[in-house]
Amino acid sequence: MSEVKEVKPKRELPLSRIMVNEQTAQVYAEAWAASEKGEPIGWSTAIFPQELCETFGVPLVYPENNAASISAKKLGEPFIEHAEGHMRYPINICSYARLNLGMADKIIEPGWEKVEPAMPVPTFLCLANNSCTQLMKWYENLSRNLNIPIFFMDCLYNYDEEEPAPHKIKYLKKQLENNIKKMEVLFNKKFDWDKFLEVQKRSQINRKLFNEIVALNARKPSPMNGFDLFNYMSCLVLCRGKASTTRIFEQLKREIEAHIQNGTSTYGSTPEAYRVHWEGIACWPNLGFNLKTLRKYGVNCVMNGYVTAWDVAYEPGDLEGMAKAYQCSSTNSFSTSSIMDMRTKSIEAFGCEGMLCHVNRSCKLMTFHIFVGRDMIEEKAKIPSTNFDGDQSDTRVFSEAQFETRLQGLVEIMKANKEAEL
Amino acid sequence: MYVLGIDIGSTASKAVAMTMDKKIYAKAVVSHGTGAIGPKQVYEKILSESKLEKSELKRILVTGYGRFVFDDADSQKSEISCHAKGVLYLSPDVRTIIDIGGQDVKAILLNDKGMITNFVMNDKCAAGTGRFLDNMAKVLNVKTHELGALSEHATEVVNISNTCTVFAESEVISQLSKNVSVENLIAGIHQSVAKRVSSLVYRNGIVKEVALSGGVALNKGVVKALSEALKLEIIVHEDCQFSGALGAALFALEEIGQK
Repeated sequence: MSEVKEVKPKRELPLSRIMVNEQTAQVYAEAWAASEKGEPIGWSTAIFPQELCETFGVPLVYPENNAASISAKKLGEPFIEHAEGHMRYPINICSYARLNLGMADKIIEPGWEKVEPAMPVPTFLCLANNSCTQLMKWYENLSRNLNIPIFFMDCLYNYDEEEPAPHKIKYLKKQLENNIKKMEVLFNKKFDWDKFLEVQKRSQINRKLFNEIVALNARKPSPMNGFDLFNYMSCLVLCRGKASTTRIFEQLKREIEAHIQNGTSTYGSTPEAYRVHWEGIACWPNLGFNLKTLRKYGVNCVMNGYVTAWDVAYEPGDLEGMAKAYQCSSTNSFSTSSIMDMRTKSIEAFGCEGMLCHVNRSCKLMTFHIFVGRDMIEEKAKIPSTNFDGDQSDTRVFSEAQFETRLQGLVEIMKANKEAEL
Repeated sequence: MYVLGIDIGSTASKAVAMTMDKKIYAKAVVSHGTGAIGPKQVYEKILSESKLEKSELKRILVTGYGRFVFDDADSQKSEISCHAKGVLYLSPDVRTIIDIGGQDVKAILLNDKGMITNFVMNDKCAAGTGRFLDNMAKVLNVKTHELGALSEHATEVVNISNTCTVFAESEVISQLSKNVSVENLIAGIHQSVAKRVSSLVYRNGIVKEVALSGGVALNKGVVKALSEALKLEIIVHEDCQFSGALGAALFALEEIGQK
């Protein structure tokens, strides 16, 4: 007789997560609807001033976010293989880029089988190089392969200081104005400055709400599994300037406050024995394994530096302030010691007892500082850390055994530290 | 009564039986690691050689990559903690531990209380590990355990520029075709391991005394090359290969309240 496997009931999603899924579906539905009507539809880098297209009412989808979603479903491999094999892109470039370039080449083939979430073929690109310089080559390749224009925001690199020099801000402000003019031509629409102000206000409401939500996880024990932040962060990527994001964040905040009141957590029934800081982008294809293994050892990654990358703070109506915010929006615009100062503050605020560093094969920029950053954290925050090999999309890099061994080693050090304190 | 510590690595399995008063009672090693017959063999070997009965084992703690696949285990611990514990037992003054295993290289720093303050491990690459040496020995048609003695006869050190296990193989083959002596090539292989390992150790920081553990520590050529690369003396205990299993046995004692 064949063995009957117990089927575990699926955990019911909280309303806020259902709302996130609905919002994401809506974004893609609007993009497809525009595409089918022959209207403009754009692909955008994650920290491009989305306020522009939101004001024009022109839909955008985000290849980085899309690559993360597809990778989390373990469906990215055929696109990566296509990019490496047929298109001859080397393994050393970003796996988001390989996945997306492979996909861009596949979706123009007639009758291709959609892999959800599927993006329609774009008619234009929005590119800001404030988080990564590799994005420029990636989007240049897309632009040439698909023969479509790019709206480019060239955010000059802050190589010597955290506060951008005035000429850099002026340069970016001019680009904002110039891109608006060029979009007016391509979209055949007048830019509505009053609506723009409303979108700016909404973007600020949403980022502040998200910061408040993140801060709630400093509670001990945390009301949230820290990995949840990766899911909710997508609202700021996809819909930073939309009222639907406000509704999601308000609902999420209510849910978290209820967890705090009831002494419960989305981390589940496993006691939160250790609180750690996660450094780097998520290992999307291995997120489930990471979470399961972390839970096995009672570890909650209560905070990570990645989710705050969309904290683009400015005064609505101040175009120069907005330019400055986008110039400084990503942690990649800061020096390693400044980033690690921020991490140290976050580690202290969230009561983290260790740090788990994802050495992401794809992201050379973030990996550049990982070892020296570790040393700084160990010295400043006085907590142990460990690193593991992984990738945001390429499944060939991560090793389950390596991850568990290093996590267990970190847990044993944190345990010994706790016992020594008693 | 006794406790048993087992270290199931990628290329070898080691076991140490310990008395309740922390004395090594028996030890065994087999050259098969996880996924093969190694764990079963080493278990049977230590029981038969020591004449111990399973019922006399109060606790079995398992470490190493195969730690979760050993049925009789009472608990598991990472090899990082176990190696640190085992090396400290063998050499109490040690503050920096370098462990070169079959597929892992670890550098572990201890504070003056013997607590681990930091550790780093190699990235997902076999360069500088025991597996690298196994492959090189195969190409040179010698046994891995002969590498150390052979390198003592080297007249010069041949530079092996490639640390990738696969590419280094073709480099060694190309050197052989130029009639470079096997001894000189082995000295070069040891130096390439030492370079790779020393950069990892420097990354973690060095506090004296420094000890080398794991099976590769038995290779005198690697010890010499690493000592030269780090510019310091390295302690190698005769039981260095058992440090993981020894640490596991010591943790097993702690778990049953024998401090």
